[in-house]
Amino acid sequence: MTKTTIPVHLDINGDRHTLQLEPRVTLLDALRDRLGLTGTKKGCDHGQCGACTVHVDGERVLACLTLAAQAEGRTVTTIEGLAREGELHPVQAAFLEQDAFQCGYCTPGQIMSAVACIREGHAGSDEEIREYMAGNLCRCGAYPHIVAAVRQAALEVQS
Amino acid sequence: MTVHNMRHGDASDGGADAIGGRLSRVDGPAKITGSAKYAVEQQLEGLAYAVLVESTVASGKVRRIDTAEAEAAPGVLKVLTPDTIISLRTASDWFGTPPPDKPYCPLARDITFSGQHVAAVVAETFEQAVAAAALVKVSYDETPSIVDLSDSKAGDGIPIDAMTKEWGDAQAAFASAPVRICAAYNTPREYQAPMEPHGLIAHWEGDKLTVWEPSQWLDGMARTYAEWFDVPFENVRLVSPYIGGGFGSKALALSHGAVAASAARMLGRPVRLVMTRPQTFTGYGGRAATRQTVTIGADGEGIIQSIVHRGINETSMDGMWVEPLGSVTSIMYATPNFSSKQNVVRVNSVVPGAMRAPGENPSAFGIESTIDELAYEVGIDPLEIRLRNYAEQDPHAKKAWSTRQLREAFAVGAERFGWARRTPEPRSMRDGNQLIGWGVAAGTYPVRRAYGEAIVRILADGSVEVESSSIDMGQGTYTILAQTAAETVGVPADNVVVKLGDSRFPRAGVAGGSRLAGVMTGAVYKAATSALDQLVGLAISDPRSPFHALQANTLVVANGRISSPRGDGPDLSIAKLLTSVGRDHIEATGDTMPANSTAQDRYKNYTTIAMALPHTEGDYSRHSWCAHFIEVRVDEDFGTVRVSRVVSALDSGRLYNPKLAESQWKGGIIMGIGQALLEEGIVDRRHGRIVNNNLADYLVPTNADIPDIEVISVGIPDLHSSVLGGKGVGELAIVGVAPAIANAVFHATGKRVRDLPITLEKLI
Repeated sequence: MTKTTIPVHLDINGDRHTLQLEPRVTLLDALRDRLGLTGTKKGCDHGQCGACTVHVDGERVLACLTLAAQAEGRTVTTIEGLAREGELHPVQAAFLEQDAFQCGYCTPGQIMSAVACIREGHAGSDEEIREYMAGNLCRCGAYPHIVAAVRQAALEVQS
Repeated sequence: MTVHNMRHGDASDGGADAIGGRLSRVDGPAKITGSAKYAVEQQLEGLAYAVLVESTVASGKVRRIDTAEAEAAPGVLKVLTPDTIISLRTASDWFGTPPPDKPYCPLARDITFSGQHVAAVVAETFEQAVAAAALVKVSYDETPSIVDLSDSKAGDGIPIDAMTKEWGDAQAAFASAPVRICAAYNTPREYQAPMEPHGLIAHWEGDKLTVWEPSQWLDGMARTYAEWFDVPFENVRLVSPYIGGGFGSKALALSHGAVAASAARMLGRPVRLVMTRPQTFTGYGGRAATRQTVTIGADGEGIIQSIVHRGINETSMDGMWVEPLGSVTSIMYATPNFSSKQNVVRVNSVVPGAMRAPGENPSAFGIESTIDELAYEVGIDPLEIRLRNYAEQDPHAKKAWSTRQLREAFAVGAERFGWARRTPEPRSMRDGNQLIGWGVAAGTYPVRRAYGEAIVRILADGSVEVESSSIDMGQGTYTILAQTAAETVGVPADNVVVKLGDSRFPRAGVAGGSRLAGVMTGAVYKAATSALDQLVGLAISDPRSPFHALQANTLVVANGRISSPRGDGPDLSIAKLLTSVGRDHIEATGDTMPANSTAQDRYKNYTTIAMALPHTEGDYSRHSWCAHFIEVRVDEDFGTVRVSRVVSALDSGRLYNPKLAESQWKGGIIMGIGQALLEEGIVDRRHGRIVNNNLADYLVPTNADIPDIEVISVGIPDLHSSVLGGKGVGELAIVGVAPAIANAVFHATGKRVRDLPITLEKLI
């Protein structure tokens, strides 16, 4: 039988991992099924819901539309890598304070998007936040609180 | 796993620990850091992956399933078909009705809808299973299908006599009424679309089955698995620590669960099966499509004399789903004459299911639109006409309301919204090319009551542990039960660990019908009271207790410390007291079952819905109530509708945690905005497939669709409804949103849209 797997080196949250993967394995399934990093969620597997949002080289990326092999040599940050030494990221703290989630399943993707949204300079107004957070669906309907949390965190990050 | 006692330093928590406080979610830290493990995220040794193959026709028979190529594909462990899957027994329904004694096969030979499971592939990896599933070749003998209610073959359906509600002579009163309104309202198939797809991990150890599965009802689902596989109920363990949204769709064990558990049994390995997002549109039922006609006869002052209501909803070819369309129609307004009847129509669809406020939601779209039409017909303000016809008691049950703060909701909502500034004429308010419309509608949901059990333990370190097989899918169960235990025992909420989502814990009924919070706060309150009594009893009577010499009648426990109410004597921590009396914990079980309940009563109560108490039991009729005031902006040229402002006043009785209740209300309103403007399952007329079976084409609201929403609580404690005075929260707020928007659209444009969703082609 021909060899169907390739070695893939991944830098995730500062940890180096070497996996032997079929080339068709997505970054999302590598994280969830091979590395046990299940904080990144699978909601649609088609880039439609945003639940799998992670950062690759600091930019928000949909892990379900990214092959694990495409992340080779790049820096991946997931929700598990956002808090530093037990200290919540301001976006995480704001989500808790504003009750910006209910079931919590879209939340890691929302938070990763929000961190990037602020970094991109797109958290200037509620309207801008709504537009730049529109790629992350939340069926519980936490949107007004997500906007409030991003607004609050943006002020903290900037100050 | 004790993630829920992580301290998070949230300033908003100050003084929030008690029932009614604005405590932040205690499961929040786990959810925002990614450490919350949802059901199918468990890491198991030897896990195999299953993928479903579904029918591509809506009606017919499977002629042949060619599995050769799939079986030869890399990594494939097994291909399951109706011929190769193990035989199961038919399980009872959710009322506990004894099932027919015949085998059950979760893979279909006879096809009654597109998307029915016909085969499954199990492989070493997910990727291998997906690839091999595409190699399974199924051929069919296709027969004509009835794709939906508009199909010419659909017919009038089956009368459901139990839905008939009548008093007075509604037809005669309508015929003689000076003002007569008659209109037809349609709602399409809608889907719960929780962000977490349905799925499970099934794992057999001998005759014992463990199922990690998102579940709104652990004990009910465990019963179904036990019956399918003919093992004792106690042999099935359901684990569901977090649920990524349910909205009614995760209450029952479904055929994909039977497939996964069968595969696990056949392979002797744990098997994971997660539906693809498209499969979630046919793997279980969304809200049934409905049709209603509502006629109102009134006098010239808008006083209702008669309501005649006829409804139909779709159901499947082999299952029965009744969406009670007369539920709001029959109670919202006082009327001396009333008639409501309902049929169901069989179509080639998966059996529809519960979706947020089943029945009340489409029912309110009908009656709350019609009364708006009546308001314009008689020239009376839409808010005023609702007050003129205010039902002072339940018009159907002829009983007093337990509490009904609807008048207060109208008053407070109108005030906050600025309703008095509304100009009545359609198309009379605009901002540039945007037509502005203001609409109002009311909503309601019955208080469903059942029973629950909980264990409360006071541990050696003075912390408190709560266990229950109830669940938290975002409603806040972890948090409100922590608050209940904290206040009742007298410890900070940070010192309470709540464990839910494991059927080994004391039992609970379904988390559905907005009943869980009222049921479980009652059970935890009882268990915690009993634990506190034990603690105080020990402190007073145990000779080793430092309080023994005090000869006190009672002691006070507050903030984790015990002292005498007179202020004399010792003041020590719970931990110190337990040490002094040589106890490592105190434990109490509490339940809200009637005192003489048998073990069989308990089993029936927690694994079926047969024991739920009617909301009109005894002297009162119990419901939550709300009033929505909504502003829309309609582009005059393009017909696009945007909701720009929402003020809703709601009566859910006493709120156990306003911060979380407000979130749930807003979530319901947002789902209602989706229902009004976006959501519609579109059926392919050739094969009965759901064309838009994904999250890009089945449109749910995005952040950019939603304005600021103001919710105001007008509830008062209702002790007829629950032990601690709360009424239902979760389903209430969606009820009435769609008609409020439709009414606002009429005010903006002069066009009455009676067919949801209100899309632009209906306005231009």
